[in-house]
Amino acid sequence: MSTLEVKDLHIEVQDGESGAVKEILKGVNLSMSTGEIHAIMGPNGTGKSTLSETIMGQSAYHVTQGDILLDGNSILDMPVDERARRGLFLAMQYPAEIPGVTNAEFLRAAINARRPKDDQISVMSFLKELDKNLDLLDMNEAMTERYLNEGFSGGEKKRNEILQLLMIKPAFALLDEIDSGLDIDALQVVAKGVNSMRGDNFGALIITHYQRLLNYIKPDVVHVMMGGRIVKTGGADLALKLEDEGYAGLRDEFGLDVDLVDEN
Amino acid sequence: MSQETMPLVEDTVTKHDEPAWMTDKRRVAMDQMPTLKMPRVQRFDYRDWQMMPSTEIHWQSSSASLAQSDLDATTAKADDQQISIVQVGQTTTQVKLPAQLAKQGVLVMDLFDAMREYPELVKQHLMTNVVKTNETKLTSYHMAMLTSGLFIYVPRGVVVNQPIEAHIIQDSTKSDHPLISHVLIVAEAGSEFAFTQHLSTVGEAANIANCFVEIDAAEDSRVRFSSLDAFGPKTVTYFERRGLAANHANIDWAVGLLNDGNTIGNIDTNLLGEGAETDSKMIAITDGTARMGINNGVTNRGKHSVGNILQRGVLLGRSQLVFNGIGDIIHGASGAKAEQENRLLMMSNEARGNANPILLIDENDVLAGHAASVGQVDQQQLYYLMSRGIDRQQAQRLVIRGFLGVVLSAIPAKTVRQELITTIERKLTDEN
Repeated sequence: MSTLEVKDLHIEVQDGESGAVKEILKGVNLSMSTGEIHAIMGPNGTGKSTLSETIMGQSAYHVTQGDILLDGNSILDMPVDERARRGLFLAMQYPAEIPGVTNAEFLRAAINARRPKDDQISVMSFLKELDKNLDLLDMNEAMTERYLNEGFSGGEKKRNEILQLLMIKPAFALLDEIDSGLDIDALQVVAKGVNSMRGDNFGALIITHYQRLLNYIKPDVVHVMMGGRIVKTGGADLALKLEDEGYAGLRDEFGLDVDLVDEN
Repeated sequence: MSQETMPLVEDTVTKHDEPAWMTDKRRVAMDQMPTLKMPRVQRFDYRDWQMMPSTEIHWQSSSASLAQSDLDATTAKADDQQISIVQVGQTTTQVKLPAQLAKQGVLVMDLFDAMREYPELVKQHLMTNVVKTNETKLTSYHMAMLTSGLFIYVPRGVVVNQPIEAHIIQDSTKSDHPLISHVLIVAEAGSEFAFTQHLSTVGEAANIANCFVEIDAAEDSRVRFSSLDAFGPKTVTYFERRGLAANHANIDWAVGLLNDGNTIGNIDTNLLGEGAETDSKMIAITDGTARMGINNGVTNRGKHSVGNILQRGVLLGRSQLVFNGIGDIIHGASGAKAEQENRLLMMSNEARGNANPILLIDENDVLAGHAASVGQVDQQQLYYLMSRGIDRQQAQRLVIRGFLGVVLSAIPAKTVRQELITTIERKLTDEN
């Protein structure tokens, strides 16, 4: 069993143009283990993506206080690639396009990065695994010979993120708005992919605005994030309640001093 | 150095048994030299380079064994259809030409042998139409001092299916061994073939390389030229690669510039004929303290002629790389098209790069466009690759490969493409 803990995390970012420093996360606490699916819900601009990017190690976010622990060890000093090899995976909202590098070549490089030099994955086992996962995600084999994300539609990019998840098999997946821009069929396919990973050796943190995705991927724990903090944690029913009452209802119920103007 | 009064050593020329007209050409070129200027590479200063070290012609012979490491790969896949020629220094050490092609009149041979055996052909084409001796001080120097070369001739209507492969190996086992080489390619009307050259250095001595390629493409001919330039760190290189395309002739260039040493060069296609076309693709990688300044030009003279230039450069270490894309559309070339794209990727803060599109258009009815950029590795791309566990070095290599991909994938010969990728990977690995 692996554990991922976020302790009293404070994050600042510096605006590229004005240079102004802004605190986005103001003391986030979160603890999860493999075998669990967690969801984080919250309005726009509340720091959900900042949290996932910071866990992954995106250098634009500066940790000013607190810690992130993987299996009890701090990962704050680790570069992005090492965090990934230790078991973290971030399905990104806006995956980069890499011309000239095929999807298949990239997937093999990612898998082999986790294996010793003298034990790289064989072409046969790789292709077998790839075919199986393409089938599961209802993806065309031609996708693997296309350049990584180049010219992919929004839906294709999201599926491709899930394909990587299935191939890489991380301990923890952070899924950042994996549902945005997906039609209902694609949403079901993506959910099917994530659900196929469920098990004692896999945990997921799903970031979403909407409850809809959680109809397809049932969370064990739901966190509500507002104003840079997790303000409420509960079971799957918390998501349904949110859907009914909205974030404003929850805010008023708890008497939170949070501005809900869309900051993005 | 008194190059102005450089004596032509008649004695050595005579000993080499070259035709009198060749010696005359040398003499004319020699006389032109003092009045000519050095070639210009915009935004690139090479005034302190020694480009004309030798004041007299030295005939030297080199051992075929020096070519061995270079050729292991080639001979391994040798078959009786292979067309190849190998030169080490001034010595032609191997020629392979299938009998069938020889019977059709195809020539693949040492340039000086060709002067003796096919004097009319060589005399007609050697620095007469495509490059002229009186263009610059270095073109005249080239003619005056020429000591090695190839002659490739494909007669009217002949289509050669296998690529013609040349290995030109600079012999720098001794100093005072300048490589002054001329590849003369004549494509008669309606002929079609691919020519691939591999340039390399053996030995550690410092020498210059002054290498010309002339392609004279008659109407409806099609020549696909590829070159992998990989001269050593102590070689200072100057190259001219020039094409002249008659009506509906087509000359394509695919060049990988991977010299370790300082280099200036000029690639230019003169689209003289109506509907003549050229596609000029180049990749350059500079590292260490190497400096490279390249002009890549197309001159549209013919109506409806089409020229495309696509260049990608990667700069490592403290190197410098300048790409000038020169599109010249002459008055009267109505319906001409000229496109160019020059992009540089800076892998180091200490490297210096320029990508300059230069368009000279003297005709209204044309389509012309250009794009140029100098940029750094896209941090989002790196982050994405690394977030999948790929380490920074490999992620950088993948991003660079992607950056070069658009040119790489356009190189027709698979072996050249693979060799290019291998050499690029080696350079990137050495750097890290």
